[in-house]
Formats: sequence, C-alpha cells, structure tokens
Amino acid sequence: MALVRTYRALLLAGFQQMAQYRIQSLLWMLFAIIRPVIFLAAWVAIATAQGGAVSGYTVGDFAAYYVCLAWVTQLVMAWNSQEFEWEVNQGRLSAKLLRPLHPIHYSIVDNIVYKVTTLPVLAVILIVISVAFGAHYQTQPWHVVVFVPSIILAAALFFVFGYIVASLAFWATRMRTANTLWQRASFVFAGQIAPVALMPVWLQAMAYGLPFWYMQGAPTEILQGTATPERAAFILVGQVAWLIVCYAVFRVVWRRGVRAYSAVGA
Amino acid sequence: MIRHGRIFGSFVSAEIKNELAYRLNFVLGLVEMLLVVGTSLGAVLVLFTQAKTLNGWTLPEMIALTGVYYLVQGGVNLIFAPSFEKLMEYVRLGTLDFTLLKPASAQFLVSTRHISIVRISDSVLGFVVLGVGLVMLGEAITPWAAVAFALTLACGVAVVYSLLLTLVTLSFWFVRVDNILAIFWAFTDAGRFPIDLYPGWLRFTLATIVPIGIAVTVPAEAISGRMSLETFAAMLAGTAFSVTFASWFWRRGLRSYTGASA
Repeated sequence: MALVRTYRALLLAGFQQMAQYRIQSLLWMLFAIIRPVIFLAAWVAIATAQGGAVSGYTVGDFAAYYVCLAWVTQLVMAWNSQEFEWEVNQGRLSAKLLRPLHPIHYSIVDNIVYKVTTLPVLAVILIVISVAFGAHYQTQPWHVVVFVPSIILAAALFFVFGYIVASLAFWATRMRTANTLWQRASFVFAGQIAPVALMPVWLQAMAYGLPFWYMQGAPTEILQGTATPERAAFILVGQVAWLIVCYAVFRVVWRRGVRAYSAVGA
Repeated sequence: MIRHGRIFGSFVSAEIKNELAYRLNFVLGLVEMLLVVGTSLGAVLVLFTQAKTLNGWTLPEMIALTGVYYLVQGGVNLIFAPSFEKLMEYVRLGTLDFTLLKPASAQFLVSTRHISIVRISDSVLGFVVLGVGLVMLGEAITPWAAVAFALTLACGVAVVYSLLLTLVTLSFWFVRVDNILAIFWAFTDAGRFPIDLYPGWLRFTLATIVPIGIAVTVPAEAISGRMSLETFAAMLAGTAFSVTFASWFWRRGLRSYTGASA
C-alpha cells in the first residue's frame, strides 16, 4: 500500500518534469524511428529488384516488420545502464542508496513517464509509415492476446539486463565499452538488420541462443502476426527462461557491487 | 595559412599529451570502434546474402561506401564535433571572451581547438574498409577517379562542417541547441546506405538539411567510377555555397554575442 502511494507521488512528479521538456522528448523519438526506416528502405529496394519478394517476404511484410519493431523497441527501451554510469561516477548514487526505496524504483517510474508521453506521437508516425509503404499485417486476435505477456516479458528482460550492465559501474568507472558491446549485439542479434528468418543459419542459431532477440525481434514477430502458435510458445518459454537467468545474475551482481562501491570522493 | 597550421599543430600535441595519460581509455575506444565498424560490415554482408545488388550497388561498392561513411564520420568527430560541443558551453558560460581576444581567426579557433584523438581510429578503419572494398572491386583506379574522390570527400566533410557551424551559431540566440544537434546525430545513421535508396522525403533531407547523405554517397560514387560530371559540379558548387553561408552566419551571430559580464 505504501508502495502504491510512493509510486503515485513519483509518477506525478515525473509527468510534471516531462511537461517542461516536450520538444526534447519528441527529438529523442527520431532515434527510435530512423534506424528501422533505413533498413526498411534497404529491404524494400532488394525486394523490389527481385520482383516484389525476398525469400517469401514481400515489401508489405518488411514494412509491417519494421513498424512493429520500432513500436516494440520503444516499448521495451530503458536507459538505466547509461544513467547509472553517470550517477555512480558523480557519486550521486550515495544519496539514493540512503533513501528507503531501492534505486530501481526511480528508474521504473522514469521509464513509464517517458513511454506514456511519447507513445501517442510515435503511433501517429508509424501509421504514416505503414500507409506509405503499404504494410501488410497478418495479426490474428490471438496474436494480440499473446503479445501482451510477451512484450511485458521483453521489457522486463531488457530492464534487468540493463541493470546487470549498469552494475558493472560499481567496479569500472568507464562503462561505455560495455554499453557499446550491448548495443552492437542488439544490432546484429535482435533483428534490426533483418527479420531473423532471413539471416544466415549460423547467425539465426546464435540469435536464438542469446537473450537479445527475445527483447525485440521475438515480440515483433508476434505483433506482426507471422508467428505460428508453436513459435509463439517457443518465444514465451525463451523469454521466461532468460528472465529467470538474468534476474538471478542481477541479484548476485548487485549485492556484491554495492559492497564494492565507494562513491567517487567518499 | 602556415600560422594556422602551426596553431593547429600545437592543439594536436596538447591533446595527444592529454590522451597519453589515459591509455586504457584509448584502447577501449579502439575496441568500441572495431565493434561498430565490424557489425556495420556484418549488416551489409547479411543484406547481400539475399541480393546481388542493392539498388545497383554491388557488394564491393557497398563495402567501399561503408568505408567512406566512417571516413567522413571520423573527419567530423575527430575535430569539429568535440570543438563545437565545447563552443556551446563557452557561449553559455560567457568564456568565449577568452577565445575572441586571441589574435587569430575566431572561426578557426572555435572549430579546431578540441580534438578527440581516439576518433582517428574511425578514419583509419574507414580507410582500411575502403581499401578492402576497392581491392574486391578489382578495377584499376584512374587518376581522375582518385582526384575526384579526394575532392568530393573534402567537400563532404566541409558541407557537414558548415551545417554544424550554422547549428552551433544558433547558440548565440538560443541557449539550448544541443537538441538541434541531436537531430543531426539521429540522421547520420542514414549515411550508411547510398542516398538513392531512400524514399523522397528522406533523400531530400539527407541531400540538403542534413547533408550526411551526399557527403558519403558522392565520394563513394567517385572512387567506384560511377559519378556523373553534373554531380561533381553540383557538389563543388554546393560546398562553396554552404561554406560561405556558414562563415557569414557565424560572423553575423558573433555580433549578437554579449559576453560574460554583459
């Protein structure tokens, strides 16, 4: 009950802060849109040159895939690992650790506020892209139902994974390399370059074995409606498994990390 | 010119001394760049497992283009991006006074003062990737292609420089322009593919407002011998215009600068 009250207060403060920087949050959305549009354009060019389809993917399928990917990416996105580096480096974490609330709650609130304020705009932009490229969705009602737990699992997985990366800041003051490694792994394995089915077999195998695809590409396939019931089940099982693993790792890393942490200057 | 060269040389040596104090940082920066360039090449290779050409560009040509993309980025990120980032801070704090008092061109000083040495790796890797692409292309490069490449590459960097200078000049009137720069960074990602690939609105943006598209595509066309004379002429004229405009706009903006104590 106390937690609900705390969250209400934090959310209210968050929305008020966000209202001051409306343009800024719109600009950040550009980052969410540009990369999917770039790869969409490349695949459209390839598909058109080959008479409208690549390995069964038509122009409309690619458009649907990348629109869904942009939407999923925005829904699962979390910046905690970048912010955390800054807070540890500046020693600001000390103040937060003294408060009776785990720092993770502040990240959750910031995350919710950002998404609620940006999603309406993103929706409009993505609808325009859908129409412009003639996106072809195969989504059935059951896809939508399965998408809900899948996207929640993906967001949780992304968030916890981000916190594992962030916790490394307790030991190393320079985290950019770890973040870059994560970003580039996502670039290759999460389905940003291509829908996983179009990648070489050995890359597909790696994508299924690593957690990144379960954060972005997998829920995208469900939302787009290309996933069969068996594949959807496979995705959900993979997401739950990775979430359990990541949470366990996070618990260990965090407990050790806080002990190792000595604020810069303390 | 020689004097400016000497000043620039002293900036470089100061930055190198500074950088030598953080060697691990330098190595990690290099590792990051290898990751970024490697995965970008991977993306191109994945696309080409499904196609023989990308809008008329063959695999060797696309690899060369990727090399040019990192060459241009390296050119911008090495000198201009870090200098302009500092410039915005100086304007906000009023410490630009110190730069204006120095007996050299203020535009030169603010554009080149800060150099991020690590980013040389962008250019070096860009060159390597470009070289790989050219070897795969297997055709002898004509002297004309080489000259045209060098010229259009310089033009490309100059056009992007002009855009950045114009954007940061806005900071004389609006204090927070880092957001406007964020637009530029968001669009740079689009330079990794030839500009003719994109739908009309994006192609227009990448050719005019955020010219990263032509800055990469035109030199890549030049070196692979597919640039038309009209493109070459338009590139030279466009560069001359944008450099002149940016320089004029900078002087215009400087007059609105009021300094720290005013």
